[in-house]
Amino acid sequence: MRSIAIVAALAIAGTALQAQTNNASITATASVQTPINVLGAQALGFGNVFPGVNKTVAATDLTNGGRFDVTGQASSPVTLSFTLPATLSSGANTMPIVNYTGVHALLNTQAGGIAFTPSAGATPTLSGTGALFVWVGAQVQPATNQAAGVYSGSITMTVVY
Amino acid sequence: MKTMKRESLLVLGVLLLAAPLVAQGKPLTVTGVRGVTFGAVLPGVPRVVLRTDPANSGQFDIRGPKGGPVMLSFVLPLNMTGPSGALMPISFGASDAGFSSTQSIGSQVGFDPRQPTTVIFPNNGNVSVFVGATARPATNQRAGPYTGTITLTVTYL
Repeated sequence: MRSIAIVAALAIAGTALQAQTNNASITATASVQTPINVLGAQALGFGNVFPGVNKTVAATDLTNGGRFDVTGQASSPVTLSFTLPATLSSGANTMPIVNYTGVHALLNTQAGGIAFTPSAGATPTLSGTGALFVWVGAQVQPATNQAAGVYSGSITMTVVY
Repeated sequence: MKTMKRESLLVLGVLLLAAPLVAQGKPLTVTGVRGVTFGAVLPGVPRVVLRTDPANSGQFDIRGPKGGPVMLSFVLPLNMTGPSGALMPISFGASDAGFSSTQSIGSQVGFDPRQPTTVIFPNNGNVSVFVGATARPATNQRAGPYTGTITLTVTYL
């Protein structure tokens, strides 16, 4: 009789203890948007310049202004920043490049373009199709004794969401 | 007679010990109420969901024994999986989980979901656990939907 009582008690306790673990799961979800792509579409071209004569290419110059084409997530704001050379080089010779100007627009015709200062950067928003076009202009200042030659430099634009 | 009395007390003692466990032994249920939702994520831009975010934090509801210690332990993903098996890191901080004995998102006690944690159930046996996390897309993260699974195991001690 005693054994039966103890066994019964332990059986009840055991039943209660067996059901004391459980679990459930939830999901974590995210939707990654289109990565940014930047293309250097057109170089900033000064053409022929003459010693002692400054030459300016405006950012609004669709033929000679430098142009970057940006694609990314539609309608997303982005931040533009630039690395701008202070001089162009031809071997050991250098020529100052100054007074950078910029325009960004949602169309490659520059319609509705907004002027900005490249050294300060800009925060435009990509178009409804995820496009942005950016133009850069500047001025070169050849010295009166500027050595003849082909001068070049690199302008880098960085775009982040 | 004396022996019989001792045996009766022993049996009674065992039954008394068993009785509270039976009373506490209503089924322990854990329900995943809401997932952690990061929404639109931009490549290279981490996205944080706080456990206190009423719309995007994860939530589990637990019904179980009244009172007493309960251990909460998570199985957490290191990554979410996306298009063609692409992976996106997901991380959990030291206070990215919260326990609410009132089942209110506004009244939580934070804890580390990376470590098993012991909490005390309220007398009504109903609690909620909230979860936050951080998604860390790479700058070249492949676009598309990503998912991961967060599992909470509850053990009544």
